[in-house]
Amino acid sequence: MRILLAEDDPMLGDGLRAGLRQLGFQVDWVRDGVAAERELASGDYTAAVLDLGLPLKDGLDVLQALRARKISTPVLVLTARDAVPDRIRGLDLGADDYVVKPVDLHELGARLRSLVRRSHGQMQDILQCGAVLLESAARRVSLNGESVTLSTREFDLLHVLMLNADRVMSREQLEQQLYSWGYEVESNAIEVHIHHLRRKLHPDVIQTVRGVGYTLLRSQDLA
Amino acid sequence: MKPVRRPLKSLQARLLLPLLGLVTVIWLAAATMTWFEAHEELDDLLDGHLAQAAALLVVQQARTDDDGVADAPSLHKYAPQVAFQVFHEGKLVLRSANAGLAPMSPKDHGFKTVRLSDGDSWRVFSTIGAERDVQVYVGEKTESRNVILWAILHSVLLPLLYALPLLALGGWWAVRQGLAPLRQLSHVIGQRRPQALKQVVLADMPTEMQPMVEALNALFERIELMVASERRFTADAAHELRTPIAGIRAQAQVAMGAGADEAQRQHALQATLIGCDRATRLVEQLLTLARLEAAPAAATAAAAPVDLSAVARRVAADLARIALARHQTLELEADAPHAIAGDDMLIGVLVRNLIDNAMRYSPDGARICVSVTEASGQPTLRVEDSGPGMTEDEMARLGERFYRVLGHERPGSGLGWSIVKRIANLFGAQVQVGHSDLLGGLAVAVRWPAPTTGKSTGH
Repeated sequence: MRILLAEDDPMLGDGLRAGLRQLGFQVDWVRDGVAAERELASGDYTAAVLDLGLPLKDGLDVLQALRARKISTPVLVLTARDAVPDRIRGLDLGADDYVVKPVDLHELGARLRSLVRRSHGQMQDILQCGAVLLESAARRVSLNGESVTLSTREFDLLHVLMLNADRVMSREQLEQQLYSWGYEVESNAIEVHIHHLRRKLHPDVIQTVRGVGYTLLRSQDLA
Repeated sequence: MKPVRRPLKSLQARLLLPLLGLVTVIWLAAATMTWFEAHEELDDLLDGHLAQAAALLVVQQARTDDDGVADAPSLHKYAPQVAFQVFHEGKLVLRSANAGLAPMSPKDHGFKTVRLSDGDSWRVFSTIGAERDVQVYVGEKTESRNVILWAILHSVLLPLLYALPLLALGGWWAVRQGLAPLRQLSHVIGQRRPQALKQVVLADMPTEMQPMVEALNALFERIELMVASERRFTADAAHELRTPIAGIRAQAQVAMGAGADEAQRQHALQATLIGCDRATRLVEQLLTLARLEAAPAAATAAAAPVDLSAVARRVAADLARIALARHQTLELEADAPHAIAGDDMLIGVLVRNLIDNAMRYSPDGARICVSVTEASGQPTLRVEDSGPGMTEDEMARLGERFYRVLGHERPGSGLGWSIVKRIANLFGAQVQVGHSDLLGGLAVAVRWPAPTTGKSTGH
């Protein structure tokens, strides 16, 4: 899951980026409101963590502008403003969650996963497509009840495909979801990971739609 | 706040007791004067009567020439109080029943107060007839005079005895009525919750109380302002502290979750420490500012001559270590002593904040120049740096609490400027922010008013 972190405090930003990465998120970090709006408008982020007291453009203005442009990326507002009117305003302007600093990293991770789940219409932390079961918080995958060991990238790729089950995802979309800035993505990286997933799970778990991309079917029968 | 009852009561007593005391004293004085006056008048009058009676007896004796002693009858209940004797050629010829045989007075002629054989004190008038063979004594018990005097005094003092409690009661009531607005005020204030700092408005307030209520309202207004500023400050401070604390927490969790990644753990722990230092500094600044805002008068009262150059040298020496670590050049030009009125500690805080800001917002290897000079008699501290400087807009917003100039890697609280401005205000110094022609960065000049006393102190 690729997260945009908008936080102007260097130490907190650094800590949140490192912490969320430990929890398996891909994190891009911007330090002002203008950059946050630009990245959220153009990039394909699963969710965003938005500080309100941002330089250049206030977080709430960023949120308002995003929602006005019909960008529905789940946004978690992380702020030091704890007054109830602030919270109400934040939520009314389109925030999906409102967390007051300081926050536990694990809680932040859980809230982000919950946001992502809800935005994909999921009720639970566990995703299931046929015999494939994925627990996003525990980062566990099983096939027919048997645990399967996946690398970080493989897990993330499977996660994205399962979240977007029945939808065809292009290679570019997958890359954007999987890699944060600073990573050199090799041209065939996605193909390699798909290949590994098929080998570890089942050859037919992921369908290739030639010339368009890949898809994972919600109700599949892996005989 | 409870209604203050004791002083109110004593105020009533304070009004009532002297009033009653004064009435009593005046009355007693009047009674004393009456006593002396009546005494004198009575003596004159009764002495006159005695003389008159004696004269009658003398005339009477001249006409009658009986032998033997005649005892005059007692005709009035007051008769025992008066006595007379008539001697003719040394022989007692006439006397009242209560008079003895011996002459009542040793004196031949005139008034004399004597003690007679009956043990009472008598006022006796003696006189000699025209032919010198008649000697008349007319006496009156002094006691009877005293009885009259006492009766007079009694009639003067008795009303006072009855009037005093009535007067006290009436006075108490009047004073109580008069003090009613005061009680009303204490009630109004007593009813207030500590948070209620609205103006006190009393119906029909006496003019004497107006200054007090006005002073009270002014005080309420000041307290309200102070509370509001305090509240804002607390909110701002809590807000400002949350971010570094959130950073510390996040970094600590990163360190815990780093697993085998030793480099990441080290980085996170380092960041945790830096975060703690930052929070500490922020708390220190908050405390300094809070103290300055809470008791500016105390700080100003402690104003004494301070050598600005010495302070600058001390602070620069303190900060040189940090400058060296960042390869920054810290230059100080403060040779001659320059006396300013201030507080040694606070001026130190001001200078430290200015130099610290210059270092903080200038890159590694930058140059910072601190100088203490005198421009047209005004001691001036200049801090210039070769950092990025500021835009006009940023300069204008400096000193707003928690205002931070954007785009700086090195975090500051934005409190330093508030502190500098506050301290400068306390001691009447002017702070000017501008562009440094010398180094190209920011230049801050603090100009103190020209010292009124001696030019220099020097340590």
